[in-house]
Amino acid sequence: MSASGDNFECGHSLEELSIYLDTGEFSDPGHLTECPECQSGLAALRRLAALGDELVSADIAAAGSGTDDWMQSILDNLRLELRPGRDIPVRPDTPGDILTETEGSISALIRSAADSLPGTAAGKCRLDGDVSTPGSPITVRVDVAVVFGHPLEERADALRRGIAATLARHTELNIAAIDVTVADVLEPGFPGPAAGPARPSESSEEKP
Amino acid sequence: MTGSPPAPDHFDLVPDALLAGRAADGDTVAFEALARRHGPLMRASARRLTGSLADADDVVQESLVQAWKQLDTLRDGDAVKSWLLRITASRSIDQVRRRKNHSDLSDLDQRLAAGSGLAGGGAAGAGNPEAAALSGSRMEALKAAVAALPEEQRRCWVLKQFNDQSYEEIAQTLNISVASVRGRLARARVALAREMEGWR
Ligand SMILES: [Zn+2]
Repeated sequence: MSASGDNFECGHSLEELSIYLDTGEFSDPGHLTECPECQSGLAALRRLAALGDELVSADIAAAGSGTDDWMQSILDNLRLELRPGRDIPVRPDTPGDILTETEGSISALIRSAADSLPGTAAGKCRLDGDVSTPGSPITVRVDVAVVFGHPLEERADALRRGIAATLARHTELNIAAIDVTVADVLEPGFPGPAAGPARPSESSEEKP
Repeated sequence: MTGSPPAPDHFDLVPDALLAGRAADGDTVAFEALARRHGPLMRASARRLTGSLADADDVVQESLVQAWKQLDTLRDGDAVKSWLLRITASRSIDQVRRRKNHSDLSDLDQRLAAGSGLAGGGAAGAGNPEAAALSGSRMEALKAAVAALPEEQRRCWVLKQFNDQSYEEIAQTLNISVASVRGRLARARVALAREMEGWR
C-alpha cells in the first residue's frame, strides 16, 4: 500500500498526518510547526474532518428523530423479552400453594417509588441477600439522579422512606438497609413524573 | 406494575448511564429512551455502511434486539452510545456480506451508487439560501465522493467519522490489522480531501 504518491518532499506523508490527527502521535513534532507542506496537508485534513462532521449532522437530521414513526415501528417490532431475575417466595394464603414474585417486579417497584418523587429518577438497583429464603435480610442498593438544587441528603432520606413503605406494602422482604447512591445531578428542566418539581414558575400540580 | 408508564420524553434529561442501568434491570421504557436517543445516529451510520435504507432499518432493529439481550454485559453505562454503535457497525458489515452472497457484485455496486444519494438535501439552512445551496451541493459532492471510495476505505472512514471508533475497534469490526486501518483511512481521506478541494 505505501509508496503511493502521497509522500511530501520533506519525507513525511499524508498517512502520518492522518494518524497524527487521530492520535496526536508524530515522529518529529517540531517539524510540523515549521514545514509548510505538512501544514497545508494538515489544514486540508482538518477541512475534510469538518466537512465529515457536517455530513454526520446532515445524515442524522435526515435519519429523523427518535420520536418519529420509523423508530416507533422498530420498537414495536422488538418484543423485548422480560428479565424476571430471581424468584422470590411469597407466603400463600392457602397453605400448600407455592407463590413467588420476581426480582424484576421488585426492582420495578423500587424504580416507581424513586420516580414518584419530583425531580428524581432511578437507575440500576440491586437486592443483596438471599431473596429465595423467606425472612433473610436484604439490602437494597439503588442509583438515582436528582435535579440540581434539591438538597441531596433530604432527598435520599425521603427516597429511603418511600422505598421502605412501598416494599413493606407490596412484599414480604426483610429489608435490612436501603443504600441510595446519588449517581447524577440532572439539569433543571427534567420534568419529573409528578409534573413539576418545586420551581415557583411552574405549576405544581400533583398526580393523585 | 405499579403506576402509569412514564411519557416517552420523560427520560430526555436522564444520562445514558442511569438509563442503561435501569434497562439492564429490565426496564423496557428506559431501553426505549436509549433507542430513541441514539437511534438516529445508528440509522445514519448503518445507511452509509450498507448503502441501503431498508437494510439500515433491519440493522438498527437487529442491533437493538442484541443490545437488549447483552445489556448486562455492559460494564460502563456511560459507554452505551459507543457500544450501540459498535453493534450497529458489526451488523451492518454482516448485512452487506449476506447481501453479497445472494447477489452479484455489479448489483451491489449499483445499490451503493444509489446509496450515495441517501438523505439528499439534508439540513439546508433556512436563513441564507445561497449559503444553504452551496453547503447543500458541497454535501452532495462529499456524499458522492464517499460513495465512490473503494469499499474497505469507505468502511474505515465511516467507522471513524460516524461511529467514532478507534483504530483498534475498526480493525476488530472489519477483521483486518490496525496497520491496514491506518493505511485505508489515510487513503480514504486523501481521496476525499482531493475531491473536496474545489468546494472550499
Ligand atoms: Zn513536512
